Amino acid sequence: MPTCFGMMANSGTIMTYPTMPAIIRFDQVTVTVRDKTILSGISFTLRLGEKAVLCGKSGSGKSTVLKTLLGLQGLTGGSIFFQEKPLDAVTIQAVRRQTAYIGQEPVLGADTVRDALLLPFQFKAHRGHKPTDGQLKAVLAQLHLPAAILDQESGRISGGEKQRVALARGLLLGKNLYLLDEVTSALDSESKQAVFAVFADPKLTVLSVAHDPEWLERCDRVLALEEGRLTQEACHGHA
Amino acid sequence: MDTLDIALPQMAVLYGLCLAPWLLLWLIGLRLSRDIVISILRMGVQLALVGFYLKTLFSLNEPWLNALWILVMLAVADLSILQRAGLKLRFFVLPTFIAIALSTLFATFYLVVLVIQPPHFYDARYIVPLAGMILGNCLQGNVIALERFYSTLRKNEQEYMTFLLLGATRWEAVRPYYRVAVKAAVSPSIASMSTMGLVSLPGMMTGQILGGSEPWVAVKYQIAIMICIFTSTTLACVINLKLSLRNAFNAYDVLKDEVMELRK
Repeated sequence: MPTCFGMMANSGTIMTYPTMPAIIRFDQVTVTVRDKTILSGISFTLRLGEKAVLCGKSGSGKSTVLKTLLGLQGLTGGSIFFQEKPLDAVTIQAVRRQTAYIGQEPVLGADTVRDALLLPFQFKAHRGHKPTDGQLKAVLAQLHLPAAILDQESGRISGGEKQRVALARGLLLGKNLYLLDEVTSALDSESKQAVFAVFADPKLTVLSVAHDPEWLERCDRVLALEEGRLTQEACHGHA
Repeated sequence: MDTLDIALPQMAVLYGLCLAPWLLLWLIGLRLSRDIVISILRMGVQLALVGFYLKTLFSLNEPWLNALWILVMLAVADLSILQRAGLKLRFFVLPTFIAIALSTLFATFYLVVLVIQPPHFYDARYIVPLAGMILGNCLQGNVIALERFYSTLRKNEQEYMTFLLLGATRWEAVRPYYRVAVKAAVSPSIASMSTMGLVSLPGMMTGQILGGSEPWVAVKYQIAIMICIFTSTTLACVINLKLSLRNAFNAYDVLKDEVMELRK
């Protein structure tokens, strides 16, 4: 029986989130691309530590929700707030600093897995915080990846391994907001458990897109989308 | 020694040489007669006009007229670069103009003022043909740089966005594509310098020798022009790409959809 990612109090009951600060707030967000409505008046709030999943048919607008938050897709109407500040050219930098986005086929952007993990530490924002080899191996082990993968070509590893390497990179950067697109779809049972264990951390906030029933079961909230509209919002264990 | 002029009957004989390739192309089934005739006519008319302009320009030798001529060349080069690179004028016309103007004028005046040192630095006989040659080559380099940069960036948009999400600034995220584009743009002029005189005799040197110059003088001018072409092409590409970044991205560092012309 899967357990929820949600914050567990000592008694074993799930704590509720309304007292936690809001990390993301969508307020009547609408996105129209070439006269086609992709998102229509979406509103929801995601609080610190919460794990939410967006589900719905293909084309229902799930991935667009993630893209709007990263500034990759402009809004036609409504607003997005990050830590209660409206998303603009300045706050987007804060969003990107704190967020890890892991898509179905992540781009690692370097020749070897080691280079991919160290890539962000070449940038001014992270220079001087380069992790040691020991730290790299520890984070890989946490995600059920062997240390030998460090020297493998990043183009030759499987989709599931790529996703976990991308996740490892987020952990090394100390990101606390994770936008995940079908992150467990290509994983075996053991690797999946390792990923679940990572997100059991109450400090990590997750907004995901998934169809995996096990993942859905573990998330605190399920946001169901249909043709760009939020049709249902269910809270596991909070009802 | 003066160059032998080519009289009009001899010019007619020269055009007769085109009959051989035209016949060959026709025999192998390529129907290019119309294109060949139009191209040859255009070449004749355009060069006749340039000859007329240059003759007037050289005889008047007015600084403002020379400056105006260079300005016209820069404007035409600017439009031509963007058209050939498939980029929208409204985003790139100004950065491209600034980049090619700065680099061409810098290289031309460096050569004229510090190296050749004619009695007047604005002497049309020097600045007009030299600026033209430098600009012509600079144009090729900028077409390659802009086209390569924006097409590679568009092709690798996901990778670029990954860099941004990993904490890169816009400049840090585009740098890999920037380097590739600048290298592609300056490589032809580096390769050209390394094979100069071995693969072919350069056009300017040949022209000077035919014009009656001493081979050593022609060689020195050729070296001078090659160095100026390399310098101006590199400067223009580096500046142009850097300046273009301001207009090509939105406030969220996403490459605007509308910067590239739709290719037919």
